[in-house]
Amino acid sequence: MSIRLLVVDDEVDFLESIVMRIELRGFQTHGVTSGTAALEHLEANPDSVDIVLLDIKMPGMDGLEALRRIKTSFPEIEVIVVTGHGSQEYNRLGRELGAFDYLIKPIRLDTILERIEAAYRSRYPGSDD
Amino acid sequence: MDDRYLQLQWRMTLSGLAVTLIPLWLLGAAIYLYFASAVEQDQRSQLRALALNRSAAIQLFLDERVSTLEVLAHTASPDDLSAPGELRNVLDILNESQHSFVDLGIIDANGEHLAYEGPYSLEGRNYGGEPWFEETLERGVHISDVFLGFRGVPHFVIAIRREDRPEPWILRATIDSEVFIRLVRSGQVGLTGDAYIVNRAGLFQTPPRFGGSILEQAPFNTNIAPPGVNVVFRETPKSGRVMSAFAWVTSKDWLLVIDRDPAEPAVPLKQTLRIELIALIATSLLVGGAVIFHTRQLVTRLAAEDENRVKTEAQLAHSARLVSLGRMAAGVAHEINNPLAVIGELAGLMEDLIDPEFIKNTKHGELFSDNVRKIQHHVDRTREITHRLLGFARRMEPQHDNVSINEVAREALSFIESEAAFRQIELVQELDRDLPIIKSDQAQLQQVILNLLNNALDASAPEGRVTVTTTADPDNVTVEVSDNGSGIPDDLKDRIFDPFFTTKGPGEGSGLGLSICYTITKGLGGSLTFDSEVGEGTTFRVSLPRIQE
Repeated sequence: MSIRLLVVDDEVDFLESIVMRIELRGFQTHGVTSGTAALEHLEANPDSVDIVLLDIKMPGMDGLEALRRIKTSFPEIEVIVVTGHGSQEYNRLGRELGAFDYLIKPIRLDTILERIEAAYRSRYPGSDD
Repeated sequence: MDDRYLQLQWRMTLSGLAVTLIPLWLLGAAIYLYFASAVEQDQRSQLRALALNRSAAIQLFLDERVSTLEVLAHTASPDDLSAPGELRNVLDILNESQHSFVDLGIIDANGEHLAYEGPYSLEGRNYGGEPWFEETLERGVHISDVFLGFRGVPHFVIAIRREDRPEPWILRATIDSEVFIRLVRSGQVGLTGDAYIVNRAGLFQTPPRFGGSILEQAPFNTNIAPPGVNVVFRETPKSGRVMSAFAWVTSKDWLLVIDRDPAEPAVPLKQTLRIELIALIATSLLVGGAVIFHTRQLVTRLAAEDENRVKTEAQLAHSARLVSLGRMAAGVAHEINNPLAVIGELAGLMEDLIDPEFIKNTKHGELFSDNVRKIQHHVDRTREITHRLLGFARRMEPQHDNVSINEVAREALSFIESEAAFRQIELVQELDRDLPIIKSDQAQLQQVILNLLNNALDASAPEGRVTVTTTADPDNVTVEVSDNGSGIPDDLKDRIFDPFFTTKGPGEGSGLGLSICYTITKGLGGSLTFDSEVGEGTTFRVSLPRIQE
């Protein structure tokens, strides 16, 4: 399946590495370094993204705020939070705001990919790869 | 108890005793004084009444005799009375009803006896110039003071002058001293009381019981006696302080004095004083005892509570430190996650980019490939540590799964099987087959048991044994992890559950394990305890309630 991804993380080294790795595995991936940029990208390229990997602690627009806006404006997009901030409270908040999952860094890429596929299946059931 | 409390107890006891006993004794004294004053008042009024009564009796005595003689003087003539035997008759008649005449005499204007009847030979005497004679001539009726006269014996007379003849004549009667003295003495009270009469000049008219004889000067001035009847306290030379009633006799310038010793009827007063003292002392002992006892109780409680408070405050401070420590740890853990993630990702990317060709053609290609994998492995390890750190800091809401402790134990054992085999440590299971299922958090419990197992392994030497036992009683389910290793020394037992406390070298253990286990177990409503003997081994006990409240 060709899942189209958007990765949002202000840590450039992390972002570039993960984007490259995901693309190596055959997923179309785009990366941005802020919530604002993410929204701009989504608005400028409608229907181009299936899943968003979203960091929480970012300068400028707060990750949770970005999450809320994405889910409001683009409800068909599944968002998976990938963050170094692992508090129960944020976990709950994230899920309440509509995140599919809340993953805590550092995390093996394979685990992230598992969750991406699960999110995609939940959005498009019956599609298998 | 230390000094401060002893001092406090001392001060409180003293002030307590003062506050209770001083008013008690003051009250006692006041009551006694009031009572004594009432008794004195009573004595005074009694004495006054007595003096009034006696002086009235004396007054009556004198008035009766005067009256009788006046009647006689008015109804009989001197000639009649002078007839032989007549005076004798009259005297007898008078004495029949009035028992108080010693003699009778008719005396002419010159002081010559016209007639005399009595025990003394006074027929030839002349009274001209005698004070009583002159007074009688002048006044008409006269009661004399006591005097010795011709008979040489103290006596007093009542004389009536008549002027129904060309020359005045006087009827004179001597009053029986005995009778009169007895009358006066009837005012005497008690063993030391006295009653007597003095004239205005202070000369005794009747003999006092103590301190003087008839016609002597009394040791006080009659000025101290106001008119009428009065009761005063006065000092006497012989009897000390006395209560005296003074009553002036109205028909004669005589003062009736009744003395009594104020201490004498003091028996009831003394008794009262004794009873009161006993009561006061008994009450004081009771009250004093109570004050001392209760003060001591109070101060002991105070000391205990203070000690408690200090302990609680210390505990709170400790907890506060732990909390801030936890927050700091959480902060650090969160910070670490990001760079750690970068390391992991970059290493992962490197692994992705290495191809078999690269490995073959590069010197140390294999090593390169291995190292990249190892970097990721250690990132995983570090992740575990920070997660555990976050677990400690986080206040976790436990899950309510149905948990089989036996399952959890078996699973935990399986994790350490290989490690134990490698270290030649025997693993033993003693799991109660009928162990009930409880509601708890499976993951957290496993974390705890795993941690305890790891500690047990670390404490054991090769050939050692680690045993896991599960048991149940009506209230709790218990899992024990014991080893026969080195044991925990007594001086370290208090610090076992402190975070960051470890006996392992740097890099070998973070010291977080047991404090996390403690917090988790408490959070699940249970308890974590241990027994340990140096050289024998250690047993850790996790007890969980079967029924959640």
